Amino acid sequence: MIIAMAARSLTRHRARTLLALAGIAISSAMLLDMVMMSSGMRVSFKQLLEAQGFQLRLSPRGTLPFDGEATLGGAAELVAALERDPDISTVAPVLGGSVHSPKGEGAVTAFGLGLAPQSQGDYNLLRGRNPRTPNEVVFNRAYLAATGRAIGDTITLAAGYDPQLRTFAGAQPFTIVGEASFTYLAADQSAAALPLATMQAMRGTDGRDRLTLVMLKLRDGRNPDSVGVRIAREQPRVSALSTQSAVKQAEERLGYFRQMALVLGSISLVVGFLLVSTIVTVSVNERLGEIAVLRAIGVGASRIAWQVMLEGLALALAGATLGLGLGLVTAQWLNSILTGFPSLPEHISFFVFEARDAFGALGLLVLTGFMAGAIPAWRAARLPIARTLRTEAVA
Amino acid sequence: MLTLLLALAAAAPVDSTPRVRTIAVDERLAADGRLAIGDKVVVSQEPGGLGDTLVIAAFVKRGADPSEVARAEYRVRMHLGDVQRALAYGDRVDRFAVATTSDALTDAAVEQINASAFGFRAYPSKAIAVESSRTFAVIDRFHKAIGMITIVASAIFLLCLMLLRVDARRREVAALRLMGISERSIIGSVVLEAAVVAGVGSVLGVGLGYAASAIVNWYYQGVYRTPLTFSLVTPEIVAFAVSLSVVLGLVTGALAARRLVKLPPLVLLGR
Repeated sequence: MIIAMAARSLTRHRARTLLALAGIAISSAMLLDMVMMSSGMRVSFKQLLEAQGFQLRLSPRGTLPFDGEATLGGAAELVAALERDPDISTVAPVLGGSVHSPKGEGAVTAFGLGLAPQSQGDYNLLRGRNPRTPNEVVFNRAYLAATGRAIGDTITLAAGYDPQLRTFAGAQPFTIVGEASFTYLAADQSAAALPLATMQAMRGTDGRDRLTLVMLKLRDGRNPDSVGVRIAREQPRVSALSTQSAVKQAEERLGYFRQMALVLGSISLVVGFLLVSTIVTVSVNERLGEIAVLRAIGVGASRIAWQVMLEGLALALAGATLGLGLGLVTAQWLNSILTGFPSLPEHISFFVFEARDAFGALGLLVLTGFMAGAIPAWRAARLPIARTLRTEAVA
Repeated sequence: MLTLLLALAAAAPVDSTPRVRTIAVDERLAADGRLAIGDKVVVSQEPGGLGDTLVIAAFVKRGADPSEVARAEYRVRMHLGDVQRALAYGDRVDRFAVATTSDALTDAAVEQINASAFGFRAYPSKAIAVESSRTFAVIDRFHKAIGMITIVASAIFLLCLMLLRVDARRREVAALRLMGISERSIIGSVVLEAAVVAGVGSVLGVGLGYAASAIVNWYYQGVYRTPLTFSLVTPEIVAFAVSLSVVLGLVTGALAARRLVKLPPLVLLGR
């Protein structure tokens, strides 16, 4: 009976109920989006860093990987020491820099990565194969398109280009042996991967025995943070960054979005609470006579209170269900806007649906709606029967 | 020891490097590194490497540049010759900034330089600003999208409230109708009331907006240690918010009142 009466009360004013539902659905959608955004960047960035299975990154001391032009000297010695380390299973050294290919009167420039193809963690091969000899190279789709070349073609690449004299430094002929997708680069950013020794030689004195970054895979059961601290102590020239620390630093840089998500999510909860409490309060006020009659014929105060609270629960539940679908659609839309950031890695997503967080937030909204009915329910249950009957029902 | 992460060269001729070679450091670096004017710092390409010893001559405040706000690294300003020496860069520069005597001459100067120069290109500052603010164009679009969702939610909330307010006056409206007051007058009074409610609400909202904006600026300027203004309430924004709110109030009030006056007075009285 309680459920039937609550349903009847909600359907009595259809326009009002529908509007309240729409309002709660939008609040739920906003709450869901904000929850997805607050955890999305962390989850997505962590997935990106862990995609290739490397848990530690070493960069020149005081810098973040590829956050400047600093490089590490004594590369061979450093790599050898790391390969001897019992905690480390894979060492992937990288030297970054621009590479230029002559085209017409100018050059087409790409981000070049000198790496060890057998241990690298920077790209996924889409077609062809990894470089095996010093003069083989892998391009991404953007650079293939920019240079107008295909797998199997020969191309000249240089590490330096002087546009005034139109001269190329460290130019060498290469054979394109594969097409790859670069994990940490934007899809439209031209990129090339070539053997580390070749890249070092092409950069001349600037690149001799130098590295920009070393990525490390640890053996099972090793703690990346403690191994990182030990390596940084043993190799004073490097800063060691674990995936967890990198995620933390990224979160600090993008803290604005998390704080915005918190503020807007809280506002959504408050709006949901206000909507439900307003609708239920008005509904109770309109039915004072009816409630007094029910009490007079013996319906218990607790049943009346439950019925009123059920109205709030039903509104919040239906609104949250609608909001779930609406939120997923708007999250796609908002994500498509934010992924327009220049140079953002292709696989980064700002909105990630994590069932536990999402349903937790919507559950909180439903609970808030249920609680929003508590005050009018309490009022309805404590109504003075005789006086209300006289003023409402009899009149 | 100071590691040179990024140096901005002051526009001084190479051969005019003063006898006492000086450096201006970011005030955040000065605070974090407890540096004082007159302190000597060693500037090198990498930690522990050989470098130049420079004397701190000034502290510089971080500029209000949005593109730098999320970047945590410190910046120093050095004389051009010192930077070239520290980086073993030779007699080279990355770019020149050229001032024209008037805005009208800028485009002509750009055209002239590009027509005669070989190996480099000139860009007007506006074009560079557009390119470097692409990140903020994305954030701007994101804020507008959030704003649109908020406007839809507010409109529904307002419509709901107006419907409830008008519904609460059923008996009053019925009595007015029975007394012979016209539908038009009743709708007019409801719409007027809605306009007053929306107007007062807007004024309160504008006050709240200014307060929220001040809190946002105070908080983020502290977090990012920048003089950048993060939130700006402009007269255009206030005018847009108030007019939107009043229009929404008027429309929702009129819709709700129209719906009510269409019902027979006795139905409104519950008979």
